[in-house]
Amino acid sequence: MAQMYVLFEHAAGYALFRVREFEDVGSFLPQVEQSVTDLSRFNGVVKLVAFAPFKSAAHALDNINSISEGVLSEDLNLFLETNLPKPEKKGKKDSFVLGVSEAKLGASISEILGIPCQHAGVIPEIVRGIRLHFAHLVKGFTVQTSGVAQLGLGHSYSRAKVKFNVHRVDNMII
Amino acid sequence: GGRGGMGGGKKVFVEPHRHAGVFIARGKEDALVTKNMAIGDSVYGEKRIAVEEEGMEKIEYRVWNPFRSKLAAAILGGVDQIHMPPGSKVLYLGAASGTTVSHVSDIVGPEGLVYAVEFSHRSGRDLINVAKKRTNIIPIIEDARHPHKYRMLIGMVDTIFADVAQPDQARIVALNAHYFLKNGGHFVISIKANCIDSTAAPEAVFAGEVKKMQAEKMKPIEQLTLEPYERDHAVVVGIYRPPVTKK
Repeated sequence: MAQMYVLFEHAAGYALFRVREFEDVGSFLPQVEQSVTDLSRFNGVVKLVAFAPFKSAAHALDNINSISEGVLSEDLNLFLETNLPKPEKKGKKDSFVLGVSEAKLGASISEILGIPCQHAGVIPEIVRGIRLHFAHLVKGFTVQTSGVAQLGLGHSYSRAKVKFNVHRVDNMII
Repeated sequence: GGRGGMGGGKKVFVEPHRHAGVFIARGKEDALVTKNMAIGDSVYGEKRIAVEEEGMEKIEYRVWNPFRSKLAAAILGGVDQIHMPPGSKVLYLGAASGTTVSHVSDIVGPEGLVYAVEFSHRSGRDLINVAKKRTNIIPIIEDARHPHKYRMLIGMVDTIFADVAQPDQARIVALNAHYFLKNGGHFVISIKANCIDSTAAPEAVFAGEVKKMQAEKMKPIEQLTLEPYERDHAVVVGIYRPPVTKK
């Protein structure tokens, strides 16, 4: 049975979770769906392996810019290499998979690090659970500090977007 | 008692509206108001009403114009629930310059959060400025069609409010709900019939949109038109992934 890890990107930093072993995906999905709303039950589904906070606001901005384009940043590369087991050589059966939120980032990670990635099936449900309980899953983190990190990064990300619109063409209003 | 722009110094009384966080100012004319988060500041030239009570801190309210805000129009139209009580987290799609967003920010108050998504850079500049004075607004200048691009900025929310005026609006809201809306969370969607299909009858367009929502685990509960404030507009309120009722 392959181990499953899930990457979660937060405004404050990167987090890696290990998913509890399970028999088959078919019965696992409804199990996860039921457990996501309940923290104590969700704690039985995922376990925090590592959390690496961004060193500065500038680092956070660099990283969100990479993440939103599906690019593997240096920080994320280092984070994954440090905290994941070494991928098996080609031809051998994979010993683990990494769950990611989006296909393009998964492709970048697979290509550069040789780590098999998955973004469909049970992954979006697990990520929903992590997003809901994140402040309780990482030690020293609260709902307030989580909001403060989002607020700071939201402003810097959005300011940069508006500033760097060199063509001065207005986009469609959404 | 109070003083301020309404009715030239006449006494104005403010009382809570049925929706928590919303108030009604009773003066010469009644007005919908919200409690100003950024005292002394008007966002779009709206009137402010200061109310002072003995032994109490000064409270300031801002008048909320239903002709400029679909959410205000829905409230005056008698919508049953808006699902954004003080302290709640709201994802606002189609934030524009932040006029209605500023009122939602007042309603959810300092304990709440408003994630305000807007793609237009011109409106986005105004939105960022509104957010500077109101620390419960997180401005996100990005395309609401691609929630994965801003997934690092948003936690799980209680409610999604959408006013994106795009033909694929139902799909846009569903995409965002899959990422960010809690199980049992709510959505409030403003639909402009013309933006979906300008040839069909508005009623048919609204019915079509409701169908699309139902296909995405979004269960509509209530629908009302925004007459007389807007033409051919409807607001649909519903619940996402409703809890399974055990029998």
